[in-house]
Amino acid sequence: MAVTLRGRLATSQFGAMEANSSRELEARNYLEKHRIMELLTYLASALLFFRPEKPREYLISILERLRTAKVSGVAFPFFMDNSNIAAMFQMLDSSNKGSISFIQYKEALKTLGLCTADEVLKDDGHGITCEKFMCEVNKKTQEICGKTKGKDSESYRSAAELLLLH
Amino acid sequence: MDATTAPHRIPPEMPQYGEANHVFELMQNMLEQLLIQQPEDPIPFMIEHLQRDNDYVPKIVILGPPASGKTTIAMWLRKHLNSNLLSVESLMAKEYSSLAADARTRYQKFQTLPDMLLVRLVQERLREEDCVRRGWILDGIPETREQALLIQTLGVSPRHVIVLSAPDTVLIERNLGKRIDPQTGEIYHTTFDWPPESEIQNRLIAPAGISEGETARRLLEYHRNIVRILPSYPKIVKVITADQPCVDVFYQALTYVQTIHRSNAPFTPRVLLCGPVGSGKSLQAALLAEKYGLVNVCCGQLLKEAMADKSKYGEMIRPFFEKETAGPSYIIMKVLRQLLDQQDCAERGWVLHGFPRDRDQACLMDSMGYKPNRVFFLNVPFDSIIERLTLRRTDPVTGERSHLMYKPPPTMEIQARLLQSPKDSEEQIRLRTELFYRNSAELQEFYGQAITLNGDQDPYTVFEYIESGIINPLPKKVP
Repeated sequence: MAVTLRGRLATSQFGAMEANSSRELEARNYLEKHRIMELLTYLASALLFFRPEKPREYLISILERLRTAKVSGVAFPFFMDNSNIAAMFQMLDSSNKGSISFIQYKEALKTLGLCTADEVLKDDGHGITCEKFMCEVNKKTQEICGKTKGKDSESYRSAAELLLLH
Repeated sequence: MDATTAPHRIPPEMPQYGEANHVFELMQNMLEQLLIQQPEDPIPFMIEHLQRDNDYVPKIVILGPPASGKTTIAMWLRKHLNSNLLSVESLMAKEYSSLAADARTRYQKFQTLPDMLLVRLVQERLREEDCVRRGWILDGIPETREQALLIQTLGVSPRHVIVLSAPDTVLIERNLGKRIDPQTGEIYHTTFDWPPESEIQNRLIAPAGISEGETARRLLEYHRNIVRILPSYPKIVKVITADQPCVDVFYQALTYVQTIHRSNAPFTPRVLLCGPVGSGKSLQAALLAEKYGLVNVCCGQLLKEAMADKSKYGEMIRPFFEKETAGPSYIIMKVLRQLLDQQDCAERGWVLHGFPRDRDQACLMDSMGYKPNRVFFLNVPFDSIIERLTLRRTDPVTGERSHLMYKPPPTMEIQARLLQSPKDSEEQIRLRTELFYRNSAELQEFYGQAITLNGDQDPYTVFEYIESGIINPLPKKVP
């Protein structure tokens, strides 16, 4: 549902603008650079899932946490925790062979709102195992929330460890 | 089967929450502002935007020919909505602004302002705190298409555009009586709007440029420009005729400005139709189900099906049905739940009629989580009900139903053998209608935002009213 929400938002926005292609291009680049659409999908999903009494205050609190996470590099709120990711992998791997195909993996990332339709992901020929799936999902969620310190920072490693521990 | 691509079972609480809190419009407004301003750091910008909470402040443009009453209407709206008014004169008169000083000198020299300067003045004024918080009303700006486009490029877009219109002769005549109070700036008229206090009367002066020739010239220019401005605001324009008393124009403008436009938000209709017997609920429900693919949930029908199926609930209902009394609410609710909980009902939406009939049943349904998002009450006067129902006939041989007035039987032979159902006798109808009206006041109170319609018209007219009730957003309650 969040995916259709995002699709409708995108088409309604670009339909309303005047046919001025350089500004449109500018706008699209802005969206991509800051990964706004993924962020909005994440916010909308959080709202609909937790259904707080006061939606604006709730959104403000999530954004504040993201802002401090960006600045201080501390672990930030994940929408899906480890058990959800493991459960999702099990749903995909219905025959229990321990790995999923590349196409399934790409579709799953699209459903989670973690990659755009035309992003090219590398296919290394082997199936994607559960650990690799979890690792990639967490990495992409971090990218979206704007983490800039990279893999070598201490906080990334500590946060990642927290998540990989069941 | 891959579980991630199968149709997802979305719990109905999610779309209900989304609709009730206008989540879609919230996100859309935020995205609009992000795209227009394109801040370097989106997250603090979004936090500030959410805290400001100014999605629904007035953003109005009022356009119209000279002497149509634009400024009067603009001033009244400003007072009523507690907003800010911007016009060419007020922008130029601003203090502490180099742009405004520049504008004043140019106006004195050339009698007009260059478009870019005017638009930048508007932008500067709109950035101020009070315009951001309480909205704005533009009086007579944009004057030309170029100004309209420039304003749009800077990211300023109104939510409502009001265009006043009147025949030219009326306007020329009206303009001759225009008088201005130099102290307050209010506009009066010698015939239509004469101030009662004599001290105001003594101060009034006639403004420059109200002679017939001058007005005609300005009208020509206005007509040339307005035709090219209107296409910039395709869905938000409302034309109000200015050839009526001021108060009427004001009330029309006010009602328009307080409507919310339809948005692209996803919406599954969950419609409840209420009304006395014979008001047309089943017919309207069938029409709605056919046109929009909703699931037609007719309570009476469901119960009869349950009894025919000899299901567990059907057996419980049967004794009540045979005695012709209403069954207990909780059993009816259980039968309804079986249908409403199914996947296609939640996905496509439903239209319910025949239940609830009183406040307790409505509370029960509400507590189980089945909240309709549109409720309609069909009002039909008692005589029409009698006419509609007592003339119903059934053919005992073929089973076809007909109506002596609206759908007469094809031949006299058939008409001779038609029978009337005992349920359609006048006393029975009277009893049932009285039962409905005893409970209807409480029901209407329970469903606060119900829409009442006149059911005493032909079915397709009533259907159109129901459709517009479903499609348009519910009017916001004015505090």
